[in-house]
Amino acid sequence: MDVMTQLQRQWREHTAYLRKEGYLDDQFEQLQKLQDENSPDFVAEVVSIFFDDSEKLLNNMARALEQKVVDFKQVDAHVHQFKGSSASIGAMRVKNLCIEFRNHCEAQSLEECVRCLRKLQYEYSVLKNQLEYLFRLEQQIRAAGV
Amino acid sequence: MGAAVDHVTPMGMSGGSAEGNDKSEGQRFSCKSKLTALVVDNGGVCRAIQTALLRSYGVETEAVETGEAAVELIASGATFSLIIIEMLLPFMNGPGTAKQIRAMGAQSKILGITAFFDRRDRQEFLAAGADDFIEKPLSPEIVIPIIRELDN
Repeated sequence: MDVMTQLQRQWREHTAYLRKEGYLDDQFEQLQKLQDENSPDFVAEVVSIFFDDSEKLLNNMARALEQKVVDFKQVDAHVHQFKGSSASIGAMRVKNLCIEFRNHCEAQSLEECVRCLRKLQYEYSVLKNQLEYLFRLEQQIRAAGV
Repeated sequence: MGAAVDHVTPMGMSGGSAEGNDKSEGQRFSCKSKLTALVVDNGGVCRAIQTALLRSYGVETEAVETGEAAVELIASGATFSLIIIEMLLPFMNGPGTAKQIRAMGAQSKILGITAFFDRRDRQEFLAAGADDFIEKPLSPEIVIPIIRELDN
């Protein structure tokens, strides 16, 4: 099996794994369909925006929860945006945690919010690693094809 | 569902599916008339994805971050076949934006969109002049019928 075929197989297997484990859902495939000759780096570009936005949102949530008087509406607004972006790229686990997080905001339960934020930070970092691996494989495939 | 993965190569050439299912049909679909759209969303990810999806169907699409920017654009004379507005915008919210756009006489189809579907938000948006209200993500299943409707 040549290098290219091997890499492509790794890519397919990793994508299938991410789908099977629920890290990604159908929406990620929609993103891949939007990638073509005119926008060959579309998925990586959008995911890069997702990484930047997510890190800002997670920081904002953390800071909001550290305030003496917590503004749960403000925290909820950050969760709302995070749910929107994660749903849009197909980040299913992250999206589902946002749903849970929102319930805790509505209940104004600080302890549960803090716990949920930690889970969210963890899931996000795992997803980030997984996607960065996927993009590294793509870069190798491109290099092998030259 | 799982089998679809085999049809997507790393270089994004997913249009060659032999299944001829809805997804590959969605790739060939394109609007017939000259359609324009405006995406109003404070999130960069959603702006990028919604814009790309609409453009993939041949809809000339712009995106702005705030309701105020959308209103300003329309006040300057820009017209759009379709306007997609996020519910929770930072200053003037989605319904407020829709209301102002309608007040300016815009006949565009307005689609309210949100991260968390809520009946009260839906009511508010429709009362403000939106034609419909959906939960993210924006999908081909939502967009294609809208485009067909606007084409006719």
